[in-house]
Amino acid sequence: MARQIPHTDVLLTLMGAPHAGDQVTSALRLTQALLERGAAVQVWTCGYATLLTRRGQGPDKPRNLADWNRSHPSLPGLAEELLGAFPDRLHWYGCRFCSDDRGVTEHLPQVMLRPPAGYAANVAAADKTLLIGVI
Amino acid sequence: MDGRMPGRRVLAVVERGYRGALDKQFFDELYLATELHRQLGGLDVLLRGTAVTYALDAPPPPALRIGDRVVDTVTDPRAGLRTLLDADVGVWVEEPALAVLGSPRPPLPGVRLAREGEVAARWKDYRMVFFL
Repeated sequence: MARQIPHTDVLLTLMGAPHAGDQVTSALRLTQALLERGAAVQVWTCGYATLLTRRGQGPDKPRNLADWNRSHPSLPGLAEELLGAFPDRLHWYGCRFCSDDRGVTEHLPQVMLRPPAGYAANVAAADKTLLIGVI
Repeated sequence: MDGRMPGRRVLAVVERGYRGALDKQFFDELYLATELHRQLGGLDVLLRGTAVTYALDAPPPPALRIGDRVVDTVTDPRAGLRTLLDADVGVWVEEPALAVLGSPRPPLPGVRLAREGEVAARWKDYRMVFFL
């Protein structure tokens, strides 16, 4: 039986690689702004964007040799901050194929992996879908 | 060359700016340039393309709120450039690219303006040229 995807106002689909531009920064800011305004949001990651919730990376980046005592959050750490702050209105999905294809074996516990063929159900559950980046 | 002969120096060309303020934070191409300067024994950096805006003075980037966390460690390329300049890295910025952007501001103190093709004409004098 097909999974029921909770309705959201917006679906943000993040394709392609982080670390190549400011797309992830923009997407996380947009997600935050939507949630602060009371919207329900779902995020779907494809391609290397599935690494955004890779659990093994931990909540912080490796230390800065030039600023040893300052912590810098990792992208999975920031995804976890968002999911923790808005547990009822933010839903995070990852493409299982893309995740497996890139060896991301363990995600944050709030992340639900979905088959590529299930993407249409997520689109149908959202009033508006935004695709950010190319795979 | 402002008293600094290329000789054994290395030229690093940076022509793509803004590669992820939250992704990279401190670990950007200018941080890498600082380490390459130390290991390779002397670096010059040429800013081209969108990276020329790094050379313009501006306040530090504002903090972002993500979830309940305030993130005040996003990438600050001007701080990176100042670190390079303090380490005696030669920093050049292509003037035509600045002009195209309509910049009314001079570059940061210590950053030198390069005419179009001026630095490319010196490539043969460098021990190594690469793109960062």
